[in-house]
Amino acid sequence: MLENAWTIPLFPLVAFFLLLFGRKSWGEKAAAWVGSLAAFASLAVSAGVLAERLSGAENSLLSFSWLTLGETVIRFGIEVDPLNALMLLIVSLISFLVHVYSYGYMKGDGRVPVFYAYLSLFTFSMLGLVVSANLLQLYIFWELVGVCSFLLIGFWYFKPEAKQAAKKAFVVTRIGDIGLFLALLLAFWYTGSLELGPIFAAVEAGQVPAEMVTLIAVLIFVGAIGKSGQFPLHTWLPDAMEGPTPVSALIHAATMVAAGVYLVARTFPLFEASPVALDTVAYVGAFTAIFAASIGLVQNDIKRVLAYSTVSQLGYMMLALGSAGYAAGAFHLMTHAFFKALLFLAAGAVIVALHHQQDIRKMGGLWSTHPGIGWLFLIGCLAISGIPPFSGFFSKDEVLASAWMDGRPGVFAVGVVAAFFTAFYMFRLFFLVFTGSFRGEGNRGSVPKSMLWPMGILAVPAVAAGFVEYPTPFFSRWLTEGTGLAAEAGGTVPLWLPVLATLASLAGVALAWAMYVKRVLPADDLTKPIPWGYRLLKNKYFIDEIYAKGVVLPYRWLGAFLRGFDRFVVSGLVRFSAGIFRTVGRIGSAIQNGQAQTYALVSLVGLVLLIIGLTAGRLFG
Amino acid sequence: MDSLIKILPTWIAFSPLLGFFCLLWVPRNRSGWVKGVGMLSTLPPLLLSLFLYQRFDFASREVQFSHTFDWFHIPLPQGQTWSFSYSMGVDGLSMPLVVMTAVIATLAATASMYVKKRTKGYFLLFTLLEVGMLGVFMARNLLLFFLFFEVTLVATFFLIGIWGLVHREKAANQFLLYNGLGSAFMLIAFIGIMVLFQTLDFSRLQMVLNNPQTQMALASQPQFQTLIWGIFIALVIAFGIKLPIFPFHTWMLKVHAEAPPSVVMIHAGVLLKMGAYGLIRFGVELFPSQLREAAVVLAVLGLINILYGAVLAFVQQDLRRVLAYASVSHMGIILFGIASLNVEGLSGAVFQAVSHGFISALMFFFIGSLYERTRTTRIEELGGLARSMPVLSGVFLAGGLALLGLPGMSGFVAEFLAFLGLFQTQPILAACGAIGLILAAIYTLRAVLGTTFGPDRGTWSGPADIRTYEAAPMFILLALIVLVGVYPGVLGDPMQTTLQLIVSRIGG
Repeated sequence: MLENAWTIPLFPLVAFFLLLFGRKSWGEKAAAWVGSLAAFASLAVSAGVLAERLSGAENSLLSFSWLTLGETVIRFGIEVDPLNALMLLIVSLISFLVHVYSYGYMKGDGRVPVFYAYLSLFTFSMLGLVVSANLLQLYIFWELVGVCSFLLIGFWYFKPEAKQAAKKAFVVTRIGDIGLFLALLLAFWYTGSLELGPIFAAVEAGQVPAEMVTLIAVLIFVGAIGKSGQFPLHTWLPDAMEGPTPVSALIHAATMVAAGVYLVARTFPLFEASPVALDTVAYVGAFTAIFAASIGLVQNDIKRVLAYSTVSQLGYMMLALGSAGYAAGAFHLMTHAFFKALLFLAAGAVIVALHHQQDIRKMGGLWSTHPGIGWLFLIGCLAISGIPPFSGFFSKDEVLASAWMDGRPGVFAVGVVAAFFTAFYMFRLFFLVFTGSFRGEGNRGSVPKSMLWPMGILAVPAVAAGFVEYPTPFFSRWLTEGTGLAAEAGGTVPLWLPVLATLASLAGVALAWAMYVKRVLPADDLTKPIPWGYRLLKNKYFIDEIYAKGVVLPYRWLGAFLRGFDRFVVSGLVRFSAGIFRTVGRIGSAIQNGQAQTYALVSLVGLVLLIIGLTAGRLFG
Repeated sequence: MDSLIKILPTWIAFSPLLGFFCLLWVPRNRSGWVKGVGMLSTLPPLLLSLFLYQRFDFASREVQFSHTFDWFHIPLPQGQTWSFSYSMGVDGLSMPLVVMTAVIATLAATASMYVKKRTKGYFLLFTLLEVGMLGVFMARNLLLFFLFFEVTLVATFFLIGIWGLVHREKAANQFLLYNGLGSAFMLIAFIGIMVLFQTLDFSRLQMVLNNPQTQMALASQPQFQTLIWGIFIALVIAFGIKLPIFPFHTWMLKVHAEAPPSVVMIHAGVLLKMGAYGLIRFGVELFPSQLREAAVVLAVLGLINILYGAVLAFVQQDLRRVLAYASVSHMGIILFGIASLNVEGLSGAVFQAVSHGFISALMFFFIGSLYERTRTTRIEELGGLARSMPVLSGVFLAGGLALLGLPGMSGFVAEFLAFLGLFQTQPILAACGAIGLILAAIYTLRAVLGTTFGPDRGTWSGPADIRTYEAAPMFILLALIVLVGVYPGVLGDPMQTTLQLIVSRIGG
């Protein structure tokens, strides 16, 4: 099966072309079938590949030459090691479920085939990204997933907000991409290759100066910051919620935004060789985790709360990787993909049931009419909050453990507080949407079956995926096998650690319950003493405003200034030189009549000049 | 047969004349016939150049299909004669550009259906222009090169001045002013070369210049050094105006804004590339040691082009001007590639020349068909076009993504190689230039989203979406852009041997 891994991305690619060129002839249903079948084919092969990997097959590497430059040959390849195999399964599984779900969600949109075409293109690019064995190839797919994200955020192109959000997503992530771009140029000149294997070998052999390893690793991380919405490039991700909700679930929660985490994990040997780079990853991750979680506390749009939660959880994964917790980061990536996709799909179902209402202040009491969605959402909340025995408990525990065991108590403490925040805002969401009385208007519609069963399937791993690591650390041993990376943090994790983490989460749940169900602690009473604090959070620390005033505006000024400069100074140069020519021309026109046709003689004048030159040459000679 | 194939470059360069003479017979009032014959006249060079690609030996280090004939002699009083020869040939540097020229010329001829008046004169000039362009890339003699170069100037001048928009005459005059100045510099340089080396034959010049004895002789005499530097600088200015290098770019803004879109396809697609070609052919190949010393200056100029063009493209209101400044920015990448003086960078420069040719041809084809429908190209008057023209908007978006260097499309390969090349020699400048990649996304998305996204204004509900005769050329261009992006070997393989040879000469 491993040797067939290259076919995995091809199914969605074929579907993309079928859907794009046949968009007039496919109906909604046919388009959904084409897209879903292609995703299912990828899923089937991915499952086969993973099964073979689990039984301990050798790493497989397939490569071909892409471009020859003098003596250098750039080779592209497909690699399947445990991390790739895992990512293949996650991506194709969630992609398949989202394809099915989208049929119900997008019904009657009018451009459903185009939607499925973009979705298929994304699936192709994402699968291509995770099997790449070459940094340049990875970068190519990295940008392609970015452009798919852009296309899907801007799918409703006529909405001005969607247009702005799409543009912002593309530009902000591109800032990060430049980091990755520079990293691969540097890597090429210091190691002579763009393939991951030779790069790691060169770093391990000490052929690359230490400060260059650090620079390359940090630049790679800059790329990850952009894609994974880490501070300070996180601003695009909440805005990306303007896209259709299935897209948010697939791209902006489970797969693409996790690509940054995947990238750091993929190039982990570089990070391991540089303590500075590891520190950077850990601190940026930790800061993002708490920073985004604190914003999530006060948002009122159901999708935006989930978006900030995603940013925060991605920070968690980075925190783990920075603390040398390779397996912990990948583990949390996996569980998060399941429960966050579940949460987004459930939120989409809520939005459909409420006729595209997204403001949680106008929801409430949904448990009575939609208990199915309520259960699914509750499972997601319990998982993300890290309540045992749901999957999030195990992975969050591993993340915190790696921070503690790596000797980073500060990072660890931040992680615990972020866990408390997470539990609070998730259950705030749950209680406001599903309990109490309905605060909106109109009737509450039904949700199609095709949207429900993908959620049902996702709920299974969201509950149980943690048991791949318990009672024996099967997952991390399998993942690190043959990589030379440590499966677990050295030493034994103190027993109080999971207890503390769970208590923090339970405290968050309890607080939410007290505030929004029992109402013994009304939210207003809490925000009154520090109104500026509430405003600060509500306005997301004014980061968007700072960027608008501090970056965008000066850039506009620069543009306006240069515009004047170009018009008056540079073109002034033209007028000046034109003046000289005009004077010469006037002398000429004294002899000739100055008709436009004379311009045709310019070539001949050139020949005359040539002859003059010949004479002059004779004088020199 | 073999002897016919041997002079293939001559056949290619003059094959548009077949159409030219046929056109002379077509009555000027039969506009449909004129357009038909005009479009067909671009097919012989296209087919012949594809044949050239097929017959081209990728591994050969020699100039291929080269042929030389005596042309004329000028006897000098001291018993010497200056002889001029007619010499044509192709190598890995010129062959891709020839094929690109033929392709773009054919598609631009298709876009010329939007031309409304005096079609016969238009197509007559168009065929002459194509002769000039093809000749420039294949001439192996400096005088011949100069003549072909001047033919393109004259033809373009009239095409802009007669068939342009409102301010066409001003644009044409400025075009001639700058390019005439550039030609003067080129002429001075060529005369200097003639005086110094007694020949204008490119292969002989190369032999003489690479001869250690000549180099010693040149090095020993400072006045020769000064002359050589003078010639080199004159050449850089001549081709720098054409490329254009900041601050010589203002003439091409007017051309972009005023010329008919089909002429801009040629202008941005091919004519600017003559500057890049000249810099590599005459700068890098003939004066490598001068170029090496000037490499930092070229890289700095490239950086200025990239950033200056990108910032100004962001604040323009007219789509044509956005694309004009985008061209300025993209030509900076060619300078980066040349300044790096290694195989990676030079490959990047040629890739960028070809890729930008296809991309700007696509963009101006779009502009032509857009203007046909809306009679405006100002961003603030457009918006929401995706509703009424979904396919055209999709093409524009795809072209925009190519313009901003999306991987999988040709622009990315070019940028990657140029940056890779410069990163070896000037990492700081290259890193600064990478900011241009962000700015490219900003100005492109502003322009593309500003015209196609957003609420439907209802103003353009009438015009139909893409028509078949528009779809075919646009999709051909898109397919070429994607082909080069996905499988760059199709363009990279033929030029590797030549570029390696050039670089080895620089090193030696």
